[in-house]
Amino acid sequence: MSVIVADGLTHRFGAELALEAVDLVLDTGEHIAVLGDNGAGKTTLLRILATALRPTAGRLQIAGLDAFRERRRLRHYLGYVAHSPGLYPALSAIENLEFFCDLQDVNRTRAGEAVEIVGLGHMAHRRAAELSRGMQQRLAIARAILHEPRLLIMDEPNASLGSDAADLLTHVMRGRTVVLATHDQALANRLCPRTLVLRHGRSLGTATHLRVVQ
Amino acid sequence: MNPLRVALAVARKDLRSEWRTRELVPALAQFIVLALLIGNFGFQIDARNANTITPGILWLALVFAGLVAFGRTFASEREQASLEAMLMTPASPVAIFAGKALAATALLVICEAVLLPALNLFFGADISGDVVAAVLLATIGMAVLGCLFAAVVARTRARELLLPLLTLPLWIPFIVAGGLAVQSAMGLPGNYQQAIGLLIDFDILFVVLTSLAARFVLDE
Repeated sequence: MSVIVADGLTHRFGAELALEAVDLVLDTGEHIAVLGDNGAGKTTLLRILATALRPTAGRLQIAGLDAFRERRRLRHYLGYVAHSPGLYPALSAIENLEFFCDLQDVNRTRAGEAVEIVGLGHMAHRRAAELSRGMQQRLAIARAILHEPRLLIMDEPNASLGSDAADLLTHVMRGRTVVLATHDQALANRLCPRTLVLRHGRSLGTATHLRVVQ
Repeated sequence: MNPLRVALAVARKDLRSEWRTRELVPALAQFIVLALLIGNFGFQIDARNANTITPGILWLALVFAGLVAFGRTFASEREQASLEAMLMTPASPVAIFAGKALAATALLVICEAVLLPALNLFFGADISGDVVAAVLLATIGMAVLGCLFAAVVARTRARELLLPLLTLPLWIPFIVAGGLAVQSAMGLPGNYQQAIGLLIDFDILFVVLTSLAARFVLDE
């Protein structure tokens, strides 16, 4: 079954064309990496797929539902790691997660589990402002998986993560359909059998990583 | 999903953050001290004219403190890029908005809890339960409007300029009705019941309107 069916996704910021007629079909459990230079449209595409941004044109279905008409229903279904962590600096790591447990309507015990999954158990009571950029990124990943989403959309999740980034991401991606944007082609090759390459907002097509390298 | 649980979680989070960072409280405290100083040195307040002058000082302090308190409610979320994270949850935008308004209202009520006794202590103004009720009713309407426009202008660069431009005209009904209610509660001519009735009507009207508008302001 197709989890994502995107048809002609186009987005303009004023006169500037950020994304032009991108198509994408992703089946259950598939992992796809979105590659491209700065300004290629990766973040715009991911924000649209995460239903955080409405495209100027094109259609998007997630899990068989119209992504923008039913986007509140889909919030239970998808997790999103944005480009910036978006944490509350004055709250501790665990308080940040417990707050989002309340908003996701999941039990607060899940915050403790998620913080352990991303390897921040020993830092759980440190304020987010006192965490390094890499730890903040781990916390943002923990927040995205609090509600056990089946579709995970991650924008440069490896930013500042350190040497065990691939292991952590492999762990959180297991059993989920994933769209991951990154500059790191080696990481993309390791985590995702398929790759979508964007250039100047246009899709150069999807392929296995071997063809992308070629 | 229980909207009340969401609203309380958002309000608790905002108040906890404020308690730890103390970003707003010093600014609000400054307004109160300034209002008391202006009252003390700008006017010749004594027992005879205290009830005539103190309502003006009260509303001036509340309007400026309110602009500061409500202006920060969404600006900090935008700066931290945390608003999108909240909106990516299944929680209703209206419940999120209500939580933010609740926290901002609580901060303003704390200001009022200091300001009202201070007006009584320093100037001998008659601060009765009726005065407190009028101020609290006006605070509700001012808070929902202030938070709505704070959410609107948080996306713009000139938000500090835009917020008063948008908010102050719509606060006028609360300042007028609240001012009349406080004056009559302090023994000056006026119909207290009528003024309170107006405040309740305005509260209902603007709470409903802002709840409807909040969904569109936050969701897009």
